Amino acid sequence: MKLWHSFKKELKLASKGMYFYIEVGVAVVMLLVLLLFVPKELDGRHDEYLYLDLPQGAKELYLEKIRSEDLDGQEESVTLKQGGRMISARKFVLEDVRLYVLEDREAVIRYAEEEREVAVVVALDPDDGLAYTYYLQGYESEKLRNLYLIFYNKVVSMEEIEAFFDDVEVRTLEGNPQMLNDRENLLPPFLTFNGSLMGLFILAAYVFLDKQEGVVKAYAVTAASVWQYLMSKVGVILFASVLTSIILVAPVMGTGPNYPLLLVFLAASGFFASALGLVLTSFYRDIEQAFGALYILIMVLILPNIAYFTPSWEPAWLKAIPSHAMLESFKEIILDRGDMGYVLGASAGFLAAGAVLFLFANHRFKKTLTL
Amino acid sequence: MISVRNLYHSYSNDDKYAVKDVSFEVKEGEVFGFLGPSGAGKSTTQNILTGLLQLQKGEVAVAGYNIKKIDNRMFNEIGMSFEESNLYGKMTAKENLDFYRKLFDVETRDSMDLIRIVGLQGKENIRTKEFSKGMKHRLTFARSMINNPRIWFLDEPTTGLDPAIASEIKDIIREENKKGVTVFLTTHNMYIADELCDRVAFIVDGEIRLIDSPKSLKLAYGDKLVDVEYIKDGKVLKETFSTVMEEDKQRLIRVIGSHDIQTMHTKEATLEEIFIKVTGRGLV
Repeated sequence: MKLWHSFKKELKLASKGMYFYIEVGVAVVMLLVLLLFVPKELDGRHDEYLYLDLPQGAKELYLEKIRSEDLDGQEESVTLKQGGRMISARKFVLEDVRLYVLEDREAVIRYAEEEREVAVVVALDPDDGLAYTYYLQGYESEKLRNLYLIFYNKVVSMEEIEAFFDDVEVRTLEGNPQMLNDRENLLPPFLTFNGSLMGLFILAAYVFLDKQEGVVKAYAVTAASVWQYLMSKVGVILFASVLTSIILVAPVMGTGPNYPLLLVFLAASGFFASALGLVLTSFYRDIEQAFGALYILIMVLILPNIAYFTPSWEPAWLKAIPSHAMLESFKEIILDRGDMGYVLGASAGFLAAGAVLFLFANHRFKKTLTL
Repeated sequence: MISVRNLYHSYSNDDKYAVKDVSFEVKEGEVFGFLGPSGAGKSTTQNILTGLLQLQKGEVAVAGYNIKKIDNRMFNEIGMSFEESNLYGKMTAKENLDFYRKLFDVETRDSMDLIRIVGLQGKENIRTKEFSKGMKHRLTFARSMINNPRIWFLDEPTTGLDPAIASEIKDIIREENKKGVTVFLTTHNMYIADELCDRVAFIVDGEIRLIDSPKSLKLAYGDKLVDVEYIKDGKVLKETFSTVMEEDKQRLIRVIGSHDIQTMHTKEATLEEIFIKVTGRGLV
């Protein structure tokens, strides 16, 4: 009962303090960013500006070929703004590029010179083949320049390129892989950051605030235990973590994710992060002293986020950082057919590790809480 | 109720002791004053007795509980009023007390009764961060009574209070003591110690220099003289009489019997004077 009363009191205090609203506010901002600024599928296409220095017949044939590669098979007449000039163009959206075909050669070149865009002039070579003149910025890699040279100017024939790719054996390691769209893909890092890492920092702030106000001493001379005091704080952090996570997940994912499992994992990972925060806090008298250690800890825990967005960089040691398992677990939870066994295993691990850390923090705080 | 034997405490875990070889006993129903200047070791001793500091060396028992391994049930028996108010500023006075009531396993006092006792009625629904320093201090004092403690630790209970409120606080202490509550009073204010304490301990540089009742100390260290101002033949005369010498005692009786007495003062020493005499140090 003392734990319940302490938790209710902590919740009441949290609802009257700024930290709770900072957490909720950050979650709302993240949600708005996801919904308003992150498209479901990020558009990776770049723009290219073309001038076709071709006879009318060749020009029509070339345009017909581009039109056939356009995603909807339609061209669009658009008016572009270049400096103070208005320029008419035909727009084609291909799989990996947006092409703007202009009637003004100088305007195309100005795009390269002034707007730092890729400009191309297509003309006929002496053999009546197509010759591509690329106006690049100068910082493009040698490889890219060679690729343009080979591909467009037929140093190697298309047949040779196709033959090379035909010889490459492609083996599928995972059949029918599940993918998250770009918006959903941002949820695991957001949940890890808001649900666990922020809780760690805010828990430390709560404890130090109590120390500063001296209320810890008043609590220490009651018949309640130190662990009840600490657990009531952890309870508030978990409550905020669940609330902010639901704020993020529900509007983005709807009824898709396994919510009971999400709650289990939020509780387990939140408990672990809170206990970690408590252990760290037990070594310091105030937040100024603890700030450096908190900063380093949070930076280390953020490292797996870099690997999350950089598939080519994921060293083995990174998997030892707890937030790596958090990211993976959140990802599995929101996937349609996620690995529930992995999530339950990670939950059990976080719960066990959290319990050990909590016991250690309790032992430390018995000596240091009232100092 | 309190037993302290050879207590030592060092904040730096070496031989620089904040409290050195302190021993004393406090009997049930007694008001025991712990008197000393700032930094003398008063708060360190009190914090060890209340479990706020870990016992390093020595034997301490409070309300029958060994402090070496603190049993939470001990806190049902003790109350602690802190010198620095420590309340939840975002909660009202009543919410503060209501919360602490739930942290004990014994029958607790009604929050509103306590608020009335310390003169804060009408302020119960105001957040304590809006309270003045004195109001906060009174509520902290009221909170220390919430579990009907058998041993009451009071750290500078009247510091910062105006004289009228301080007087009320002293009355409450006396009243609780009459009910049998043992009081451990930590202060550097010799007047409150003189008024309330059955016995006082003088502590300086972490060591107890003396323990006795204020009355005995005054008798032991005061001069046995009486200063008398009286009117004789229209003139105000002032004389000092010994209360020990027979000749002076007879003369004093004659003066009282035959003249109008203007003022008469015994020359007993104040606790502060005795403290300075014993320790060679002031109380501030």
